[in-house]
Amino acid sequence: MMIDRLVGMRPLGIAVALLAGLVASAPADEPEPAPAARSVRFGRDVRPLLNDKCFQCHGPDESHRKGKLRLDSFDAATAPAATGFPAIVPGDPEESELIRRLTTDDPDERMPPAKHGDPLSAKEVEILRAWVADGAEYEGHWAFVPPERPATPEVSRPDWVRNPIDAFILRKLDEEGLTPSPEADRTTLIRRLSLDLTGLPPSIAEVDAFLADDRADAYERLVDRLPESPHYGERWGRVWLDAARYADSDGYEKDKPRFVYFYRDWVVRAFNRDLPYDRFIVEQVAGDLLPNPDQDQLVATGFLRNSMINEEGGIDPEQFRVEALFDRMDAIGKAVLGLTTSCAQCHTHKFDPIEHTDYYRMFAFLNDTDEAAVAVYTPEERRRREEILRETAAIEEALRRDHPDWADRMRSWESSRAPGPDWTVVRTDVDANNGTGQKHTMQEDGSLLASGYAPTIHVDTFTALEPVPAVAAVRLELLNDPSLPLNGPGRSTKGLFALTDFRVEVAPGDRPDEWKEAKIVRATADVNPPEAELEPIFDDRSGKRRVTGPIDYAIDGKVETAWGIDIGQGRRNVPRQAVFALAEPVSFPSGVRLRFRLDQRHGGWNSDDNQNNNLGRFRLSATAAPDATADPVPAAAREALAVAPEGRTPDQAAAVFAHFRTTVPEWKEANDRIDALWKTHPEGASQLVLRERKRVTHRLDRGEFLKPAEVVEPGMPSFLNPPPSTPNPTRLDFAEWLVDREAPTTARAIVNRVWQAYFGIGLTATSEDLGTQSEPPSHPELLDWLAVEFMDGGWSFKRLHRLIVGSNAYRQASSVTPELLAMDPYNRLLARGARVRADAEIVRDVVLEAGGLLDRTLGGPSVTPPAPMFLFEPPASYGPKSWPIAEGSAKYRRALYTFRFRSIPYPVLQAFDAPNGDFSCVRRSRSNTPLQALALLNEPVAMDAARSLAALTLSEGGASDDDRVTYAFRRCLARRPTDAERQVLTDLLRKQSARFAADADAAAKLSGGSENAAEHASWTVVSRVLLNLDETITKE
Amino acid sequence: MNCQDREYRGRNPIDVSRRWFLGQCGVGLGAMALRELMAADAVAGSPAAVGPMSPKTPHFAPKAKRVLFLFMAGGPSHLEMFDEKPQLAKFDGTLPPAELLKGYRSAFINPDAKLLGPKFKFARHGRSGTQVSELLPHTAGVVDEIAVVKGMCTDSFNHAPGQLMMSTGSMIFGRPSLGAWTCYGLGSEANDLPGFIVFSTGKKGPSGGNSNWGSGFLPTVYQGVQFRTGGDPVLYLSNPDGVDQAIQRDSLDAIHALDRHRLDAMGDPEIATRINSYETAYRMQMSAPEAMDVSREPRHVLDLYGVEPGKASFAGTCLLARRLLERGVRFVEIFHEAWDQHGNLTADLKANCAETDRACAALILDLKQRGMLEDTLVVWGGEFGRTPMVQGGSDGRDHHPNAFTMWMAGGGVKPGISHGVTDDLGFDVVDQKVHVHDLNATILHLLGFDHTRLTYRFQGRDFRLTDVHGRVVSEILA
Repeated sequence: MMIDRLVGMRPLGIAVALLAGLVASAPADEPEPAPAARSVRFGRDVRPLLNDKCFQCHGPDESHRKGKLRLDSFDAATAPAATGFPAIVPGDPEESELIRRLTTDDPDERMPPAKHGDPLSAKEVEILRAWVADGAEYEGHWAFVPPERPATPEVSRPDWVRNPIDAFILRKLDEEGLTPSPEADRTTLIRRLSLDLTGLPPSIAEVDAFLADDRADAYERLVDRLPESPHYGERWGRVWLDAARYADSDGYEKDKPRFVYFYRDWVVRAFNRDLPYDRFIVEQVAGDLLPNPDQDQLVATGFLRNSMINEEGGIDPEQFRVEALFDRMDAIGKAVLGLTTSCAQCHTHKFDPIEHTDYYRMFAFLNDTDEAAVAVYTPEERRRREEILRETAAIEEALRRDHPDWADRMRSWESSRAPGPDWTVVRTDVDANNGTGQKHTMQEDGSLLASGYAPTIHVDTFTALEPVPAVAAVRLELLNDPSLPLNGPGRSTKGLFALTDFRVEVAPGDRPDEWKEAKIVRATADVNPPEAELEPIFDDRSGKRRVTGPIDYAIDGKVETAWGIDIGQGRRNVPRQAVFALAEPVSFPSGVRLRFRLDQRHGGWNSDDNQNNNLGRFRLSATAAPDATADPVPAAAREALAVAPEGRTPDQAAAVFAHFRTTVPEWKEANDRIDALWKTHPEGASQLVLRERKRVTHRLDRGEFLKPAEVVEPGMPSFLNPPPSTPNPTRLDFAEWLVDREAPTTARAIVNRVWQAYFGIGLTATSEDLGTQSEPPSHPELLDWLAVEFMDGGWSFKRLHRLIVGSNAYRQASSVTPELLAMDPYNRLLARGARVRADAEIVRDVVLEAGGLLDRTLGGPSVTPPAPMFLFEPPASYGPKSWPIAEGSAKYRRALYTFRFRSIPYPVLQAFDAPNGDFSCVRRSRSNTPLQALALLNEPVAMDAARSLAALTLSEGGASDDDRVTYAFRRCLARRPTDAERQVLTDLLRKQSARFAADADAAAKLSGGSENAAEHASWTVVSRVLLNLDETITKE
Repeated sequence: MNCQDREYRGRNPIDVSRRWFLGQCGVGLGAMALRELMAADAVAGSPAAVGPMSPKTPHFAPKAKRVLFLFMAGGPSHLEMFDEKPQLAKFDGTLPPAELLKGYRSAFINPDAKLLGPKFKFARHGRSGTQVSELLPHTAGVVDEIAVVKGMCTDSFNHAPGQLMMSTGSMIFGRPSLGAWTCYGLGSEANDLPGFIVFSTGKKGPSGGNSNWGSGFLPTVYQGVQFRTGGDPVLYLSNPDGVDQAIQRDSLDAIHALDRHRLDAMGDPEIATRINSYETAYRMQMSAPEAMDVSREPRHVLDLYGVEPGKASFAGTCLLARRLLERGVRFVEIFHEAWDQHGNLTADLKANCAETDRACAALILDLKQRGMLEDTLVVWGGEFGRTPMVQGGSDGRDHHPNAFTMWMAGGGVKPGISHGVTDDLGFDVVDQKVHVHDLNATILHLLGFDHTRLTYRFQGRDFRLTDVHGRVVSEILA
């Protein structure tokens, strides 16, 4: 009952036709073969057969090789195998073991073995026989040889050739005895161009202007104009976002919202400013390693960070970090290289020459990273932030100017600082309480790093591994870590935490079960913000007023109060410390065992959302010194003070001064002014990015993270373009290598996908895989020509688009005769234009635009348009999800901006085959289902569009029914209705008018309270019909 | 979830569309552009419709024609329900043998957690003498109809990857689900309903989300369609406010007429498919609510399941599942995420079993009395089992992938047997181990497929549900 779009992978009949002469049983309807110089070609005919039938056991993968025979190279195949005979004797099929084993009747000898698959057909054997007879020449796989610009072919009708694309297309049509279709009419062309280049239909005015434009270059002018629309980036950015597996949530069980829309907007802007594709890739793979990367270049690395992360309770975080790396390898393979890399994750690739070790050498580039999230700002916010920094510097400069003795005063302040007590870092066990599912990892410096599941209301207990001789105070340091949101030190979305209570228990070293609470008498901290109510996201539904405030709140025994560290964006994500002095120093002859209880009850009610308020990275220490207090000097200044004054960098000197000035009482006014400035710091947003961090990479046996084999160094495989000669290549070198001019698959892969977006199917249909198992391209020379032209043209997408849409091939009418349909069902030959149902997002946008509802606001946080609310609640959803329905026109934003929960895809987009971002997708299915019909007929936003189109038609569409029918029709389809179509609509209108005239209630309901309800309701029915036409959601 | 389709490789799409159209489409098409092609069809004979969801013939005669998968998500405790372990009771409170734990990784607990004795009593039931605990009195009544598979094992001890493993045979996202593979292989016999229907009835949705019923790299038509027990069973099934059936019919007639004009002008068979999709949608608007209306069931059937009409429940969903299977739906899956007893094991299991036991047994009886059990495969189980070791104080168990129990019934499964043996603690399978891949191979076998030959080419490789694994568990075949 649901029929998928009829695009398949059938190899071209014509490719087979060349072989027909070889095979007695060739179907009668195959055309007679042209006399060819060579009957069989390795890449086209032979390699696919060997791949399918032989390489599984006789290919590059040594571990699965049988009989020590490999058939993937001339040398190996012609050398004596285990049997003593060479598999192939060039020129002599009868002496070739290969042929004998394929044709023998002896079931023990016959290849492939029955359990491995079907025998070769007679036709297939003939192909191999002919190939061996011809000398068994091996050619490299076409896609692994860098493309060269082929000569533009001679064709029958040079006048039809607007650019070389047409020559390649026409050449093939000539061969097939076909002729191109005539050019589509102008209305069709402007709608086609608008949908292709901006993802939006043209307005009636635009259509009329184009129809009235009688200049010879009217079409070219349109082609020049459309890619300059900001909506161009939205349309083509979406294509890339599929490959980048973009989503607004983190996947797996919790599928929590995440913050990556800056990346989405970066992609859109990159297309709009026509960032060359090579730079586009380099910035996404290694933008952070560029010299002085700007915010955009950091944001670009969100590409790799779009991987899902599993934060269900009880996971091993390392396992899912590795899973994310596998996903990134897959994304680079599909999106950039056009190759399947994931096979080599577990073993050497069976078909393509990617060795298991090669995989992990590339993996090593990606492994050398941290999973970071940084604060990002809009240009306006950035300006404000720079202003604050500038003004702060100016006030500090004024202090120095007005107080020439400042340096002396600072020195004497510095020398008067009392040395703090000696602290002993206390290492503890981790997760012994095993209740919460959150994982802590002991770091080298003795700190604990929390990761994985983040409970929102819990108590963590840590027991010291070794006793200390005596203890009078305990210190808790909160530290930054790149894996924490905004660098931490907490795990909340702002990188903060709240410590509800802190307790210490002690036991004698030799009687570890005799725990006794050690009363804390005083607590100090280097930050003590005033009392503040918790933000709404931390609502625990207790109805109680819960607050954060100074450190005393962590020892008051109250569950409503907690120590917090938020002093506002711009200054909040820094290390902090608190010191807890015990009422009585404790010592035992056998030493003191310590146990710490960290109460964290200031998160929200829903631990399946971003509601944790947990400590991120922290370290515990003890001292026996009496009267210990927290060092009031902030960490940055403290680190700077550890350096001798003359050795300090300007930043360090600034950090010291920035703290020193706060200790000078008479500078209060200046200090207050600076504090006031920082209070105006913009909140910004956060964005997932990469951050370089060296790790040791092992080959992982069978791809299992618990089975590290030998260490591998970062490096590139050798079967593509030569790796750079740099001794220790970096991720940046890797990125540059991916887009090298000699990279054989990179340009081919992307131009093929651009072609696919225009014509519904790529020049090679397997756009995710150009490897040896891929479908041979329908027009190999055209693919190469486009790839070279793209690179030579500065990797410019806009140039490529103008080239393609400028061709006559593109401009053809898309109607098809039964004969042509029978001959070329998938339109691989392009004897007609493409007629393709629009992508999900475009379907939605077309409906909104036709209804006059579309809100064209660009960029910003994703929006949550109307959706069935039960989807976001258990048991439809794993956990409750927030989906506050957008207000006003925001619910009619372009579908690109619809919030994407991976586990709860927006239903209308899912119905039309939008991928949910679980993994990189470079080719969408295109189905045609009843669920799509229901979504277009009955979904509330679609109904809004129908009502709105009706209202517009009545107000703008003229006075007569005829004019109005034309108006509504053109808003949906651009063209005017035929008489027959008009008749259908007019009949419908009349019937509905009669119905609603007689039924005021029904009219009121359908029109939604319009004044002339019957008329509006009747037109709503008509509008709804128009919005549901196949043509409305199709590019013709 | 999707990404590609080779479904029609080697098939002429006109055939596909035309036959589909002729076979399925109820509307009169008048002078349609494909008339010539139809004439050609008469010459070529008229093979069966080959739409992606039209019924297809498997590799060999199937024992099961449809599947009902009762996915007990969360990880039900085999130790409390099916796998009696007297020794575990005996060693309650002691440490498990160290050699058992070598290399063992767990989600929450530490390796030094002590053993926890089973919380419920077991007895033998039926002629088969199958062991079932007191938690499942109704299941105990149908043990002679089911095969209890006690030797299950899987690869993951976390929910999301574990559920994906059970649903798709892989812990990696992007693989087609068992239901999608089934529809890919068999199509569906339901004209007006999706071929693969999914319910979620537990406390939460499944951890693996949508991907549990995704189509992976198969065409999107094969993905499961989520049905709801209350309100519209399918999203956007009801007409909008103010649109009654007469308006809907008029509208569809106009849409068809206009689409037909366009088909005449353009010749694109996709337009014919669109017309058909709309007509099917219209029929679904009638048939789905009818199928979902359990109030049409007689009292004794409602009582058999323990259904109170109008109240959403697992039992009601089981009854709906039967109604859908009766209407030709190929694969129905009920996710009941409720079995993650890290704590409160005793009370939660009691409650869960009270909620599900009667309906599961009722399904068996009801299918049997309708003569459907013999060709309907029913599968019960979760993504993993639970540790013999305690979590928390004395009333919880952690996730455990090494050994767990599932049961199967009908559709060619040998009834009244227990298969597989775990060690004295229920920790490891010691005999007749059945990995998830083996289970999948067996299910496909029952559906008439050689699991090594039901393949789909993607990214240059022929993928299958069982990857490079899987053994048909012939011991449990009837």
